[in-house]
Amino acid sequence: MKKVKLSDIVIGVVLMLFVIYALQPILNLLALSFTHPDSVQELNGLDIFPKKFSLLNYQFILSNPSIVKGIFNSVLYTGIGVFISVTFTVIAAFVLTREKLIGRKLFILITVFIMVFEPGIVPEYLVMKDFGLLGSMWSIILYKMVNVYYLIIMMRFFEDIPKSIVEAALLDGANQIKMLTRVFVPMSKPSIATITLFYSVYRWNEYFRSGIYLSSQPGKWPLQVVLRQFVVLEDTQAIVGGFNAMSQAYGSVNFEALQAAAIIVGIIPILLLYPIILRYFTKGTFEGSIK
Amino acid sequence: MLNVKQKKYIKEYGILYVLISPVILFFFVYHILPVIGMKIAFEDYRIIGDNIFVGLKHFKYLFSSPAFKTIIINTLTLSFMKMILLFPIPIMLSFLINEVRNSKFRQFVQISLYIPHFLSWVIIAGVWISFLSPSYGAVNNLIRLVGGTEIDFLTSKDHIRWVLVASEMWRSAGWDSILYLAAILKIDKCLYEAATIDGATKVQSAMYITLPSIKSTIITVFILNLGFFMNAGFDQVFNFMNPSVLSVIDILDTYTYRIGLEAGLYSVATASSVFKGVIGFFLIIGAHKIAKKISGRGLW
Repeated sequence: MKKVKLSDIVIGVVLMLFVIYALQPILNLLALSFTHPDSVQELNGLDIFPKKFSLLNYQFILSNPSIVKGIFNSVLYTGIGVFISVTFTVIAAFVLTREKLIGRKLFILITVFIMVFEPGIVPEYLVMKDFGLLGSMWSIILYKMVNVYYLIIMMRFFEDIPKSIVEAALLDGANQIKMLTRVFVPMSKPSIATITLFYSVYRWNEYFRSGIYLSSQPGKWPLQVVLRQFVVLEDTQAIVGGFNAMSQAYGSVNFEALQAAAIIVGIIPILLLYPIILRYFTKGTFEGSIK
Repeated sequence: MLNVKQKKYIKEYGILYVLISPVILFFFVYHILPVIGMKIAFEDYRIIGDNIFVGLKHFKYLFSSPAFKTIIINTLTLSFMKMILLFPIPIMLSFLINEVRNSKFRQFVQISLYIPHFLSWVIIAGVWISFLSPSYGAVNNLIRLVGGTEIDFLTSKDHIRWVLVASEMWRSAGWDSILYLAAILKIDKCLYEAATIDGATKVQSAMYITLPSIKSTIITVFILNLGFFMNAGFDQVFNFMNPSVLSVIDILDTYTYRIGLEAGLYSVATASSVFKGVIGFFLIIGAHKIAKKISGRGLW
């Protein structure tokens, strides 16, 4: 065994402080969410274990129609959105890396233009309004359908595919469609997985456009918008329907513990995907040039 | 008439134009049309009939409104605070993580520090509301333990900017260290071995080998951040905002949102977007050029 040096201990302690800073707030919420409403008062902000273990908060949260609807909508938008996004990002990246294509330069110029010019929320909102997309789930599913940053990452991946393989496929008589489906897609599975995860995290966490474009349709809100209403704006009436109804059904209710449970529900899909996310995001960040 | 060469081109490449047409349509509707729509900043918006061109009227209104000065000061202050205080932390973290020899501990640290990056700002605000709560939050618990009186950080004008800096650090310090870590891993290990033989300490190795080796990465990241200086973190402010602290953290983007979509002053809000866009455009182009000159790698 190697001798433990003082510098190693100092480094270890400093890093542990950062780890505690990153995790403690989440672990405390987790503890709070699993604490029985009657015992919440005993739970300290510094605790990371529940006081009197109970699933009551989750039972309540998961029987709340707004939240259940939110989860359903989020899964729906994430599922459809990610499928469309990945399909068209891969197609666009493939087309834009065909060097002989006429008009390619112009298209790349447009992508750079899009990256640089942000028109701001009002003109974007007015376009949605003019197209009659306000209140429709398509307004947000199609928003960032192709994210130009991810498109550029995908193009970099495609550019790395050896020319010799492309030429060999051409000699075998492959047309462009076969080139995409039989050569490029199978050869870039890890890269496609990377942008799939990029889009999934983005879609799951999206709340701002949904909040605006679907503001008049609470039944279409994704979970993040419901959570914002419930946790950040503390709108107990619209989401929960007031304390009285709750108390009647469940005996006792603690609002903070309910909020904690709602937040954890919003994090769970990310945590489930986290091991894969970590693998591909790290790879994507190392290989792509943007954060 | 098409010649043989042109026919061959269409036969081979024609399908690609068909495949990419939905993307072109998408870019047009979601990106190009809104850019064209920015002309509303120079017009009076009318629900029925055409808008009327009014020149710089809305810009004059914007620049002369007392709120605007505050907004600019808030935006610059917040960006500046975040940049000065948060920029060095990921660099330091990457140095520390790189020094950890136990790979299990190293992985544990990385996994833990990256988690907050993947949470939405709605969730982060929720976590921090609880973390900073005067009655049951961890921070105020600590303050009480050392004998202080609790502070309602989220509604305190004196503290809210620090809360934004601290929560930004919570979210991104770990994740941002990845770029530097990647750069450090590319450094030739022989350099360190040679330095150790010459009797260099860890600190000396870090100062004279690691730091100079990742200099270009540091400069690139710094300049790119500078390119987005006018942003100051919209999603964060949007979710931490409340009436008691609005006056100290209302930034350009939140102001645009409020006057545009909440007050319905479409033209003034767009004028503010145009203003930010023009400054942002020069900052980003400038950042891109400088970054490319220094490290050979720009934004695109």
